[in-house]
Amino acid sequence: MKRIVVSWAVLGAAALLVAFAPFNLQPVTSNVERIFRVEAGDFAYSPAVLHVNPGDNVTIKLVATDVVHGLYVDGYDLSVIAEPGQPAVLSFTADRPGTFRLRCSVTCGALHPFMTGKLKVGTNLLLWRGIGLALLAFLGILTLRSPGLPIVH
Amino acid sequence: MNEKSARILAAVFLLGGLAALGISWRLGQADAVILHARMPEAGGWTPADLTVAAGQPLRLRLTSDDVMHGFAIGQSDQPAVDVEPGKVTNLTVIFDKPGTYTFYCTRWCGPNHWRMRGAIIVTGERVEQPVTPPLYAQLGLDIDARREAQTIPAGKPSTQRSAEIFAQFLLPSAQSYLSPGYYRSRSPEQVWQDLRDDPHWVHYSDLQLWDAVAYIWQANTTPEALAEARSLYARNCAACHGESGGGDGVFIGGQVQVQGEAHGFPPGYETVLPTDFTDPRHLLAVSPAHLQGKIIRGGMGTGMPMWGVIFTEEQTWALVSYLYTFQFEEVP
Ligand code: HEC
Ligand SMILES: [Cu+2]
Ligand SMILES: [Cu+2]
Repeated sequence: MKRIVVSWAVLGAAALLVAFAPFNLQPVTSNVERIFRVEAGDFAYSPAVLHVNPGDNVTIKLVATDVVHGLYVDGYDLSVIAEPGQPAVLSFTADRPGTFRLRCSVTCGALHPFMTGKLKVGTNLLLWRGIGLALLAFLGILTLRSPGLPIVH
Repeated sequence: MNEKSARILAAVFLLGGLAALGISWRLGQADAVILHARMPEAGGWTPADLTVAAGQPLRLRLTSDDVMHGFAIGQSDQPAVDVEPGKVTNLTVIFDKPGTYTFYCTRWCGPNHWRMRGAIIVTGERVEQPVTPPLYAQLGLDIDARREAQTIPAGKPSTQRSAEIFAQFLLPSAQSYLSPGYYRSRSPEQVWQDLRDDPHWVHYSDLQLWDAVAYIWQANTTPEALAEARSLYARNCAACHGESGGGDGVFIGGQVQVQGEAHGFPPGYETVLPTDFTDPRHLLAVSPAHLQGKIIRGGMGTGMPMWGVIFTEEQTWALVSYLYTFQFEEVP
């Protein structure tokens, strides 16, 4: 019986740690230049997902391939407009970690509301925490299996 | 008059004043023209014709019924404004001179964006001015004829290379080569041939003479004109002709099918690709007058818009000199 209480306590503490510990995997010092060429056309961005690390200097060259399109970065509150033949450049420092939505800032046609993308700044902590918790749960199942079962010493 | 009636009188005046203000504001609103923008396939501008008297304000309330458009007036300094769905852009313009002006869309809103134009007729007493036809018409040039250069330089002509040859242009015998009249009416290839045939230049190599041709071009433009033309080109031409002039703009995939006859093609529908300005066989065979003529008049059915009503004459010459930068080494 005592064993089970101890197991519960250890597992619980580990779970709390995994879920809430302030891991700071990437100190904001990378300062790498990241240059993307993003084509905007046919109501989509290509590439639609941009990965950078916190602190990177990001440059996005937006190239419109059919009609005028824009690019608005949620959370950073930045935007540019590009005309066909006239690419526009957006430069900023990715100083806020997280995942931010990119969307077209110009009403460009019927499917304009669906013209979106993502800017991912930093490793996805949430994902790693999730995986950690799942592993813990698995471990829990192994160690805390129904107390009725005989445990062989 | 007792105090009470004085008060009533004051109140009446106040109300009357407010009402007058309100009415005049309503009137001011009422005489504004609501101008709707739609993609050309859906009707373009409505109304497409506006009329105003010279010297009178033309009040516009601009709005879009579909996507983002822009509004600007050809040959005027009025900065372009955006016209967006769900919003109203107020704009007041005054024309000093009677005549017909063209307003046009400034945002690349669809494949037919450049067809999105309308007219503003400014009434008033006209001072009749003699109209000079464009140079290509004066010269009787057939700007639809296909031309191909027989002689092209081995490398890119440069105004930076042969200092010695440029000293030649200080001689009185060479002065006429630098005049705008000469430069504008001859293709670079013809200029090169004239120099080749000139006994004064007999000691120079073929490439040196091409450098001299580039020098004549540069003497007929300015860094400011080239800078202005560069931005006009980026905004208005690069979508079709390409940022680097190669005729490979992002827009060519969507190039509208055009009727072939306009360009001497067999009848039927086909696509005419935008001119490749980086091809020396083409660009060195055509004169500034030819290029300006094409810009002013357009392709008449080929998909090349007509810009004569949008740009000033100076701007068209600036654009022409900019087009040659795709052939000649640029001014540093
Ligand atoms: C919508 C597409 C489109 C746009 C925008 C456009 N052009 Fe063109 N242009 C064409 C096509 C197609 C041709 C070839 C057919 C022809 O010559 O008429 C052409 C031909 C030309 C030629 C003729 C060359 C020759 O040797 O005859 C010139 C000069 C030219 N364009 C200049 C310009 C300039 C300057 C602009 C911008 C102010 C511009 N074009 C914008 C499509 C375009
Ligand atoms: Cu868009
Ligand atoms: Cu438009």
